[in-house]
Amino acid sequence: MLDVNGLVAGYSAGSRVLDGFSMHIRPGEIVALLGRNGMGKTTFLKALMGHVAVSSGTVTLGGKAITGLKPYEVARCGVGYVPQGREIFPDFTVEENLLMGVLGRSDLPQEVPAWAFELFPILQERRTQRGGSMSGGQQQQLAIVRALVGRPRLLLLDEPSEGIQPNIVQEIGRVLSRIAREQGLTILLVEQNMELVLGMAQRCLFMENGAVVHETDQVQQLRDDPAPIHRYLSV
Amino acid sequence: MSFAIELGLDTLSYSLSLLLVSLGLVIIFGLMNVINMAHGEFFLLGAYSVVAVQHAGMPYWAALIVAPIVLAIIGVVVEQLIIRHVYHRFIDTILATWGLALAIKQLIVIVFGPTSQSIVNPLPEPVQILGVVYPSFRLFIMAVALAVSVATFWVFYRTHIGLAIRGVIANRSMAASLGLNTRRMDRWTFAFGAALAGFAGAVMAPIMSVDPQMGGGFLIPAFLSIMVGGMAHLLGVVLGVGLIGATGTVISSIDTQVASQVAVFLLAIIIIRIWPEGLIGRRR
Repeated sequence: MLDVNGLVAGYSAGSRVLDGFSMHIRPGEIVALLGRNGMGKTTFLKALMGHVAVSSGTVTLGGKAITGLKPYEVARCGVGYVPQGREIFPDFTVEENLLMGVLGRSDLPQEVPAWAFELFPILQERRTQRGGSMSGGQQQQLAIVRALVGRPRLLLLDEPSEGIQPNIVQEIGRVLSRIAREQGLTILLVEQNMELVLGMAQRCLFMENGAVVHETDQVQQLRDDPAPIHRYLSV
Repeated sequence: MSFAIELGLDTLSYSLSLLLVSLGLVIIFGLMNVINMAHGEFFLLGAYSVVAVQHAGMPYWAALIVAPIVLAIIGVVVEQLIIRHVYHRFIDTILATWGLALAIKQLIVIVFGPTSQSIVNPLPEPVQILGVVYPSFRLFIMAVALAVSVATFWVFYRTHIGLAIRGVIANRSMAASLGLNTRRMDRWTFAFGAALAGFAGAVMAPIMSVDPQMGGGFLIPAFLSIMVGGMAHLLGVVLGVGLIGATGTVISSIDTQVASQVAVFLLAIIIIRIWPEGLIGRRR
């Protein structure tokens, strides 16, 4: 599904925030990418989306090279992106925010599908309200559904639990796991909240200094043996 | 009484024409963060397309179609050749578009000469309105400017493409992450802004002195209107042109043109001093 090989990228010429980053995700898999702040997790998502220039390495999505594509082209290849801080359009209504998720996709009907309002009931309730008037958790739900209405094959989530009350984090985890299971959606989750990771992920990648340094598919064992968590996440 | 009605009509006519020019300018600035110093020259080119149309023996009305089309094409070319290379560098866009303005002005001098061109008034018969005799062409300008402005608002606030443009203005990188081709939207928006300016030039040509300096005469009040009104909403521009247009027209009707300009600048300075973001400030 997603193959990343030897990615080198940074914010200025010569900088190597990502330093030989490699990973792969199988179709329908939910993978968590973990690591301390400043290790390059968000930079990887931005490089994948085309927001940060890649100096070497390759990214392929479903066999198609997407390295060097512009953000809108990456999105049209089927990548949905929920950035850190959500970045909803605060002056737009909930419905307009969701509409933004399909306007760039001429292959989709130019309207918000009915199911978009069923995933999180609050979006139906607040349909005509300004996105900026909602709580952080509701905005996160909006940002996730805005990405989903673009019918992505791969969903990138950057710290979706940040600053959100636990019951909404759980609800988000449940809904996304169900969609992944029922529709084969592949999810890459960048997260520091272990509860969400343990509740959703099938595989965990630990990142340090711009590269993946440890990997496990025995996610539930991390509850009993949290050594990797202590080693790669604690400050 | 008739003086007041005439003054009211003059104010409305000037403000609506100013609105046409300002709308293009503010949309381009909002979307691309480009202060287009050549916008006045796009207006100038619109007016000279009337001259060209008349030379070609065609009726004035043809220019209302020719001017926006020609200016849209020029807008695409300018965006492609100049703007897209510099629009990340704010100050350079001002310099580059100012240079373009000079070049356009000189080109007009070379092709049409430095002197003022005469344009035949296509609607010479005045009409009786609210008890005053008023030039029918000015009423035509008002109607057209109002219709085009309403249409622009409708596109901006009631259509999908308008929502997409507002989305790019609000958060360019997020809009791109959702699949919107922001580069293509820049190009078409710039072309649309240029077409609006060109259309305004063509509409206004019969009541103005059409000469190579006419562009600046509209550019400065347009900028002032935008700064006074603010950029949070297109309605800010409406408020800005209303205030600037009314002040300019009223003062010039009771005193000299110089006094009117002094009043307009004073008003703008006071408002910007109190509300630096304009009357409808940009929300953050």
